[in-house]
Formats: sequence, structure tokens, C-alpha cells
Amino acid sequence: MSFLSLEFAAFLALGALVFQLARGPWRRLVLLLLSYAFYLTWNPRQAVLLLGITAAVYYTARSLEKISSARGRLGFILPAVAGLLLVLVFFKCAGLFARYFPARRGGDALADIVAPIGLSYYLFKLMGYLLDVYWEKIPVQRNFVSMALYPAFFPQILSGPIQRAGDFFTQLEKIGNPRSEDIVTGLRRILFGMFKKVVVADHLSAMVDAVHANPAGYSPLELLFGGYCFAFQIYSDFSGVTDIAIGIGLLFGIKGPENFNMPFFARNIQEFWRRWHISLTCWLTDYLFMPLRFSLRRFGTAGLSAAIFVTMVAVGIWHGPRMTYAVFGALNGFYMVVSALTLKKRNDYFQKRPLLARLRAYAGPLLTFHLMVVALILFRANSLPSAWLYITHIIPGFQSAGISALRFDRALLHTRQIALLLAGISYAAMESVNWASRQNVWAARFDSAPWFVRWTAYYVVILIIACSAQETRTFIYAQF
Amino acid sequence: MTDAEIQQKLTAIFRSVLDKDSIELTATTTAKDIEGWDSLTHVDLIVAVEKGFKVSFTTKEVMALQSVGDLMRLIASRCK
Repeated sequence: MSFLSLEFAAFLALGALVFQLARGPWRRLVLLLLSYAFYLTWNPRQAVLLLGITAAVYYTARSLEKISSARGRLGFILPAVAGLLLVLVFFKCAGLFARYFPARRGGDALADIVAPIGLSYYLFKLMGYLLDVYWEKIPVQRNFVSMALYPAFFPQILSGPIQRAGDFFTQLEKIGNPRSEDIVTGLRRILFGMFKKVVVADHLSAMVDAVHANPAGYSPLELLFGGYCFAFQIYSDFSGVTDIAIGIGLLFGIKGPENFNMPFFARNIQEFWRRWHISLTCWLTDYLFMPLRFSLRRFGTAGLSAAIFVTMVAVGIWHGPRMTYAVFGALNGFYMVVSALTLKKRNDYFQKRPLLARLRAYAGPLLTFHLMVVALILFRANSLPSAWLYITHIIPGFQSAGISALRFDRALLHTRQIALLLAGISYAAMESVNWASRQNVWAARFDSAPWFVRWTAYYVVILIIACSAQETRTFIYAQF
Repeated sequence: MTDAEIQQKLTAIFRSVLDKDSIELTATTTAKDIEGWDSLTHVDLIVAVEKGFKVSFTTKEVMALQSVGDLMRLIASRCK
């Protein structure tokens, strides 16, 4: 059941009603039943796996608190986290392993294995929970209903955000009927997320698919445009599903963490990764980068560079066992190491040159955006050779014979002109609303506007979504 | 070493590593309160604290830190 289906709308309305009627601890049980009902619509066998892994983690954490010696605790937590990692690797890499096994020796069976829906998200939540308990950052969760709800919480299971256990359990402890302002905010976030997905992302996808299918057939200008389109597509798609997830959560009294903070306005690559897929980068910073960086602290700059590089490669391969994702991560690792090692010197340099510093304020975001456009070409490409073809053909002079560097084939846009124009305008509107909703003055102005102004705005957005709906594609991040 | 002495020395270390003379630490200060105290500079701070107080921390101890107060208590337990 997709978030963008009528069945889900009915499920959500019914679920919210039952939740409103429930009292006290029953609310948690209602949420758990709703979450498993939602997950069962995808795949019942995968729901059994989710429940089994959750139970294993629950008993592991309960057993951990009974062990007092540091060595004993370490010896207990390491196999548990390694086990969860193995489950992730097994399901994500089954197809890859199948290539190395003859069909009759299990290769066929391996090839048929499909990674469970939301596996990367719920396993990261559970690993984080175990490590937080081990580091004594949070107490052990004794209530099995709360524990089972944490990884299965239906708004977040398809595409995140990866909420931390401490934050989730704290909110769950005092869960009550959601406040009316949270319901309004939640419904607005859902509408805004649908707008991002249906109006912006889906209209950019046709152009992106075309140029990635045959990069050698396009001019550098067309490829560059395709690169820009994909950056906006993936941002709108992923931040759209995050908005929907946060919005649904608010209807049930749980506020999920933000995943994006206007990343294309980042002044450097470090800042970009603090604004893009925030819940994943924070997770990897806390559970991979920090322990690694601390363990390598005696190696100075080399230790820092290694910790950054490994973390960014992990960001890449978290998406799946594909070379394009690994190289996407490695390229970002390279960007980050260079940026981190030169940032202080660059800051000192510009501090003494105010005129250049003013220029840097504009050039920084522009350069960062273009570095990410190149990296995202790798992320989107069908294969590494295809990405290489795309990146080399984007350079003027390296395009295929007979294609001029500045060619912009109107036929490419022929049927999509209006769609692209609509997507472009919508993107600008989307970021303006995004910005305004973060400025208290503007948010308050909208809230205090007469009812007919607010309702007109909502109906206009619903109308735009309805008019622009085409064959809706699944959310890009639902596959991870 | 008294708590006040630890706090004073810790403030000097933070000011030196983060290059900001305006830093004032309290037990409730967290990374969110100080500009420049991020995941990249966090370990630089811990290394400077280890050198400054002539102590050594384990990964688990460092990962459990959530505020300056936690760090002060950890240092105090080592400087007894």
C-alpha cells in the first residue's frame, strides 16, 4: 500500500479515528497494530522477519543490562550488532552473491531473494538502539509493545527518517491525543509532500530518464540540464516522502526528525551533508565516524581523512551493493576530506579579503551545488561505464561527433515543456513555502490569515496536485 | 582538582581549539550551543582534553558524553 493511494488515505483516516478513541497505553497498541497491518499489505513473510529481529534485539538489550563487566558487555554487543549487519548484507547482496553460485547449488534461490521493505531503515534504528543502550545513553526499553513499535512505526518504515530510539521512546511515554495545531501542521506537511512528489519530482523524471538512457546521444548542454533536473528530482522526491512521513507521524502524536534543510543553499560540502538526508548522516556520524575517528586519533590528519572517507563510502553503499553507489560515496568522501582539511585556511584567507568574501557567499553554494550534480550523476546512472560516458560527454568538446556543444533539442522538451515549466515554477514555490514556514513571522501570518485565504491556498494546491498527477512513480528512497 | 578548576581549564581548552575567546562553558552546554563544535572538531577537543589533563578515555566513555557536565564528571573521576 503506497502513501499515494486511495487505500492508504482510507487506512490513515480510519487509523487516526481509532487512535483518537483509544486511551492510555492502548494508543501504543493501536499504533503497533496499524503499523503491522500496513506492513502486512506489502509482504506477510517480511513482517514475520521484522517481528523476529525486533524480539531478538529486545532480549539482547535486556540481557545486556544484566552484565556488569566491560569486557562481557563488549563481547555481547559486538556479535549482536554484527548479526544485524549480516542480515542487512545478506538481503542486500543476495542478488550479487547469486552470480558466484551455480544455479543448482543455490544460486537460483539466492537470486530470488528480495530485500524486505524498509530493511535498511529499521535495521539502522535497531542497531542505533543497541549501541545507545551499550553506551548507556538511554535506558533499556522494557515494554515490548513500545519496542516493537519503534522499528515498525508505519510512517517511517518505507523511507525513514531514521528516528533515534531515545527521542521516539520519550515521545511515546507521554503520547496522548495529538493537539489540534499538530494535526493541522501534519495535514499541511502531507499535502506539501504530495506536491513535491507529484508536481515537481514526477515531472522531472521523464527528462532525466531520457538523458540517462543514452548519454552519448545528447549535447553537453542537454546533459548538464539533465544533471540539474535529477538533483531537483531526487530532492523533491525524497524530501516529499519525508514530509509525508513527518506529517502522518504528527497525526499520531509522534514528531519525526527533519531530513532536509534547504541543501542546495549549502556554502560548502560539509554543510551540504549536514542539510541532506540528515537522519542518515547523523546516524553514521554518531555510530561509525565518531568511534572510528576517536580510535584513529593518534594518526592526526591521516586518521581524520580515513574516518571521513570510510563514513562517506558507507553513506554510498547504504543505498545498495552497486558500484555506482560506492563511487558516489567515495567521490563525496574525496570532496569532504579536501573541504575539511582546507576549511580553516580558506576561512582565514577570505577573512582578510572582504570583497572576495562577499563573492564567496554566492560562489560557495553555486560550486557546492555543481559538485553534487556531478556526484548525483553517478548515483542515478545505470552503470559505472554509463556514468563515465555521461560525465565525459558533459564536457564541451568531448560530445559525440555531429552534436554541437550548445545544442538544445526542442524535440527533447517538445511534450514536456509545459511539464518542466510547471515543475520549475513549482520548485521555486516549494522552496519559498519551505523558507516561509521556517520563519515564524510568515508561518504566523499564514495561520492568522482569514479562513477563506487559507482554504483557498489549500484547494489551489490540491487542484494543482490533481491536475498534474500522471502515472505516479514509486518514491526513489522506498527501494532502499 | 576542584570542579571550578576543571571548568576553568576546560574553557581555556575549548577557546584554544575552536579559536573563540567568547566561549563560556557550563555543565549544561552541548555542541548545539557552540558554533564550530561539530563532529569534525569534537575529537580534536577530546584529544586536547586528554593532553591538557593528562588522562586517557575509552571510545565507550567518549560516546556516552552528552554535555560539558558529563565531560567534567569524567575528567573529575580520572583526576582524583
